Amino acid sequence: MTSVAGTPTITFTVNGNIESHVGDPFQRLATILRDEFGLIGTKIGCDAGDCGACTVLLDGRQVCACMIPLGQIDGTEIVTVEGLGSSDNLAALQRSFLHHGAAQCGICTPGMLIAATELLAKDAMPSKAMVEDALGGVLCRCTGYIKIVDAVVDAHQFLAPPVADSPTSETVGTPHPRVDGNAKVTGQDLFGADGAPSDALWLRPVRSPHARAVFKLGNLDAFCTAHPGLEAVLTAADVPGENSFGVYPDLKDQPVFADGAVRYRGEVVLALVGKRTAVEAIQFDALPIKWRVEDPVTGVTAATATEAPAVHISHPDNILVEGGLRKGNIDAGFTAAAAISEGQIQTAFVEHAYIEPEAGFAKRVGNRIEITACTQAPYMDLDECARVLGVGKDAVRIIPSACGGGFGGKLDVSLQPLLAIAAWRLQKPVRCIYTRVESMASSTKRHPATIQARAAADQEGKLLAIEMTADFNTGAYASWGPTVADRVPVHGSGPYFVPNVQIQTRSIYTNEPPAGAFRGFGVPQAAILQEQLYDDLALELGIDPFEFRYRNAIRAGLPTATGQKLEASVGLVKCLDALQPHWNKSRAEAARQNENHGGSRRRGVGIGCMWYGCGNTSMSNPSEIRISVSNSGRVTLFNGAVDIGQGSYTVILQICAEALGLPPSEFDLVHGDTDRTPDAGKTSASRQTFVTGKAAYLAGRDLRSQILRLANAGEDANIARHGSTLRVRDTGHETTIDLTDLPAIDEHGTVLTGKGRFDPPTTPLDENGQGNPYATFGFAAQIADLEVDMELGTVHLHRIIAAHDVGRAINPSLVEGQIHGGIAQGIGLALMEEYIPGRTENLHDYLIPTFGDIPEIDVLLIEDEEPLGPYGAKGIGEPALIPTPPAIFGAIRHATGVKVTRVPLLPHRLLEALKSHDA
Amino acid sequence: MLREFELDLPGDLQETLTRLPGGTPLAGGTNLLVDLRARREEAKRLVWLGNIEAFRDIKIDKAHVAIGGGTTVGDILRNSAMIDAAPSLVGAARVFGGQMVRNQATVAGNVCSGSPAADTVPPLLSLDAEICLASSTGVRSVPIDSFYSGFKKNQRKQDELITGLSWSVPGPSTANLFYKLARRKGDAITVVGVAVTVTRDGDRCSDARIALGAVAPTVFRAKDAEAMLTDQPLTEELIDEAARAAMAQSNPIDDIRASADYRRHTVHMLTRRLIGQAWRSLAGKEADK
Ligand SMILES: Cc1cc2nc3c(=O)[nH]c(=O)nc-3n(C[C@H](O)[C@H](O)[C@H](O)COP(=O)(O)OP(=O)(O)OC[C@H]3O[C@@H](n4cnc5c(N)ncnc54)[C@H](O)[C@@H]3O)c2cc1C
Ligand code: FES
Ligand code: FES
Repeated sequence: MTSVAGTPTITFTVNGNIESHVGDPFQRLATILRDEFGLIGTKIGCDAGDCGACTVLLDGRQVCACMIPLGQIDGTEIVTVEGLGSSDNLAALQRSFLHHGAAQCGICTPGMLIAATELLAKDAMPSKAMVEDALGGVLCRCTGYIKIVDAVVDAHQFLAPPVADSPTSETVGTPHPRVDGNAKVTGQDLFGADGAPSDALWLRPVRSPHARAVFKLGNLDAFCTAHPGLEAVLTAADVPGENSFGVYPDLKDQPVFADGAVRYRGEVVLALVGKRTAVEAIQFDALPIKWRVEDPVTGVTAATATEAPAVHISHPDNILVEGGLRKGNIDAGFTAAAAISEGQIQTAFVEHAYIEPEAGFAKRVGNRIEITACTQAPYMDLDECARVLGVGKDAVRIIPSACGGGFGGKLDVSLQPLLAIAAWRLQKPVRCIYTRVESMASSTKRHPATIQARAAADQEGKLLAIEMTADFNTGAYASWGPTVADRVPVHGSGPYFVPNVQIQTRSIYTNEPPAGAFRGFGVPQAAILQEQLYDDLALELGIDPFEFRYRNAIRAGLPTATGQKLEASVGLVKCLDALQPHWNKSRAEAARQNENHGGSRRRGVGIGCMWYGCGNTSMSNPSEIRISVSNSGRVTLFNGAVDIGQGSYTVILQICAEALGLPPSEFDLVHGDTDRTPDAGKTSASRQTFVTGKAAYLAGRDLRSQILRLANAGEDANIARHGSTLRVRDTGHETTIDLTDLPAIDEHGTVLTGKGRFDPPTTPLDENGQGNPYATFGFAAQIADLEVDMELGTVHLHRIIAAHDVGRAINPSLVEGQIHGGIAQGIGLALMEEYIPGRTENLHDYLIPTFGDIPEIDVLLIEDEEPLGPYGAKGIGEPALIPTPPAIFGAIRHATGVKVTRVPLLPHRLLEALKSHDA
Repeated sequence: MLREFELDLPGDLQETLTRLPGGTPLAGGTNLLVDLRARREEAKRLVWLGNIEAFRDIKIDKAHVAIGGGTTVGDILRNSAMIDAAPSLVGAARVFGGQMVRNQATVAGNVCSGSPAADTVPPLLSLDAEICLASSTGVRSVPIDSFYSGFKKNQRKQDELITGLSWSVPGPSTANLFYKLARRKGDAITVVGVAVTVTRDGDRCSDARIALGAVAPTVFRAKDAEAMLTDQPLTEELIDEAARAAMAQSNPIDDIRASADYRRHTVHMLTRRLIGQAWRSLAGKEADK
């Protein structure tokens, strides 16, 4: 080809089809594939080569489609995930992914599959190391990578055509493949960026580059007119209802559009709406915004200093809320002590780093607004958008798209109110996709915590007391700050019996990113210090840290720090029992190794324990589930428990199917649409399996008992569906119910409805924080086995052994997936992740664990059944992460004697600590 | 947001060279496109190098290696002779980005990126590579050791293209190693990169090269340290002394990845480790003779 400028025709094949494209040779391949060819299986997570979500094959080699200018692909062959296999004809690799549960949210899956395809073409039976290397550039935030590696290693076993499984109604306790798995492994699940109407306008939020400033807007009408293709510039003045949102009913402190003042870098000042090219071409500096920059309030120490300026005039001392707990007599505890330990830690902002940046679209339908976006909390989105628009709740419909990871970060609204306002005002569909940088700059973070504590034990190693004060940097807006301030006192003494406890917490405003919900609501931060102090006590008393925990572990019947007596499903001792042999073996090996080899490497083995209350703290948080049977024999499960990758669509179905007594394959599924599904609350607080699962169980039982009554059959009868009849077989005789004979109660021909509602029983906490905050707790203990390179300060994880009391594993594969993913995030929290506004706003500088950073993980599932839960189940989402950092830090301490004071423990920090430890 | 650029797609080397004046070469784009999008770089017209014939050829004979200007990091990994021809470069390629970046990123692009953390550069320095530069007015060759003149500054003239790199195959008495210290295993910017070449002659080190990455405005050779080792038997004490000299020659910065102190310290540790490792591996070979 000769020199080409302008718009050449580019010819190439995509998945075997010859295509040609005339256009800017500089456009990215990823954009063309998605927007021109509709190949939405190629995902965009960063647009900078860092995440690998866009990986495609170019002449058989994996490359980032976001980095390939179209001009480069003339005459080449491109393969996308759509070229690997289709929904009814999956490739072996895709079936292996399904079988292994290698896709959780599925946003990384196409990239993983493509990268694996390049490898498998070369070697059909690769080793784990080869897989880790070949896929190493693709990031996954959900799975911890282990099941992905297994799926690729095993792919060759799926080369034979699949044998159809016979349907079974025995479903609880089996690793049922994800119900949305097929869509995930074919890349056809519609995420927030995938399904917008083709005529949708493009919305680009314009954000503050300053952490604290006041600003004035110039003539925006003139600006709009001067920019063809730009249809509107929306500001605070355009909000039809109230320009504020927030997760608490009485704490709506965050504006949709900043109104004259910004409180953090990344806050929305205005939104440009119009043709995509026009909107994107506008340079920030060209906008008529006049700034007066002020000194930001950074960090909790500065924020609580007497002369600190207020972040919100409503809170002159910058203290958003205080929380606390008082049990027993703390002084008496310390007076009687044989050993006392003291310490402090400082943790960082941590970014959720879901691979799917926020995305969605809204359209106005008459006098209603419909918003399709990735979310963890459709009903909260509905409430917020209704307030912002100033319309009734019945005028808003939220349709959750597939959600490419959340971990708490998609609980708060992000672009939903912006889209709602734009579509409402302009009466046209409007879409928006956050860039990676924008997502990271604007979304909520894990709270940085400044914690001080001391603990006491008697001569036998019985815990006597713990006292803790914890300040949480909640950033510019409240978000879930109050939840953190409430959850930490309840959990801060750890899963142990401690007679005297005093914990005080504060959530403090600063001019930093809003800190919100992130897997554990402050509990992981507090657990790091609390577990360290208990290690201290054990060491001082000459007791093995494992034994120390065993002696103090909370057992059924003992009161918690809030005075709650847990009568059942208190599985920590069982977790420890399961870990004991591993502990003994690893500690002995470590001792031997450290003795034999001097050298620069020291091995360490540590343990971390945790407990975590499932559901909201001392608050009603009900879920409802509905099942309908139509006169044509359709059985439909209406499930509003949004699946953000953890698998709630599958687990809820399994529970419901088992309760009703029909196989899962009999169900049609309706998910998460606020117009169609009853409210199943938020996907947070490890509550969906426990709370919504119980509602699903009750709905299934409700429907079952109606059917049995119609058939006059006994409890153990067997139900089967044949076309529009139900056959009920009871010992010896069979009754047929002809559904067409039953009266329909709605236009869909519904003849039977099963309903279930569950609200976990809790009681309010009194002024001393005493009460029953949760109906049940998850328990876990993890062992970390690692080596520290004493010369480099680097940590090399060998193995994590995780014992988790999940009550009952409804789906063991999904539970394991949660544990792997939680551990991976725990590793990140402990050793590498630190969000610094303005400096680590991309996935190049903000590092999350990759394949090579995850050690071997052994999962030991403990099933100490929770009588309230569905088939005994309770939550796992957050418990998975909490014990990992304490176990890692315990192991580092075992190896080196160094105690963590600053998290993450980056190599240079560890090395400094080693030096001062030696000095 | 990508602005519209002019993109030249010349068909051969000659045409490429005539298009270069005023244009910016575009190889894998893994630096250039990211920088253009983030508006850290400016360019009016990009000249794509991907159509130049035989631009990715690798030639390895007994004594000599020559790679084309379009050779990718992935090409280095896929060439089975490379492990003997450039062990440190293969080492760097193995820990370079992810495979999808390796398939796209070129060695010449890495050399030209000017980043002190560029991973192939310490190995190329340790191998004493020659850079072949061509423009429409002629060709010349520059030793990589004198290529860099400051942060993001090098000897390449605006209208010149790197058409290839070459070096001598390390002999049986030479060990050549690379280590990348980074904050995670996969795909991470280097905190400290160290490449060493040690040649052993009997009980002495006859030649040593130590190249350090990410600890100064450019990748550089720690020549003080090299001189201390040359023509000496390498004792642990001497190796440690030389490693300290390497540390003294580094001039790192504090950044989000690590502190300057940490970088200095790890230069000492890693240089000591790699020289020691190289020396011991050669001792094994000596014993086999
Ligand atoms: C996700 C990601 C991970 C990365 N990981 C690493 C890593 O681990 N280690 C590392 O060192 N780098 C890494 N990089 C940076 C980058 O990939 C490398 O520097 C790469 O080698 C650049 O090569 P390229 O072909 O993409 O160069 P380009 O981006 O195309 O060009 C880079 C510069 O070199 C010039 N140039 C290119 N070829 C020539 C030539 N033949 N003659 C003259 N000038 C030329 C260009 O004009 C430009 O100025 C990473 C980048 C990304 C996006
Ligand atoms: S979108 Fe291309 S690498 Fe992230
Ligand atoms: S499954 Fe990998 S990012 Fe969600």
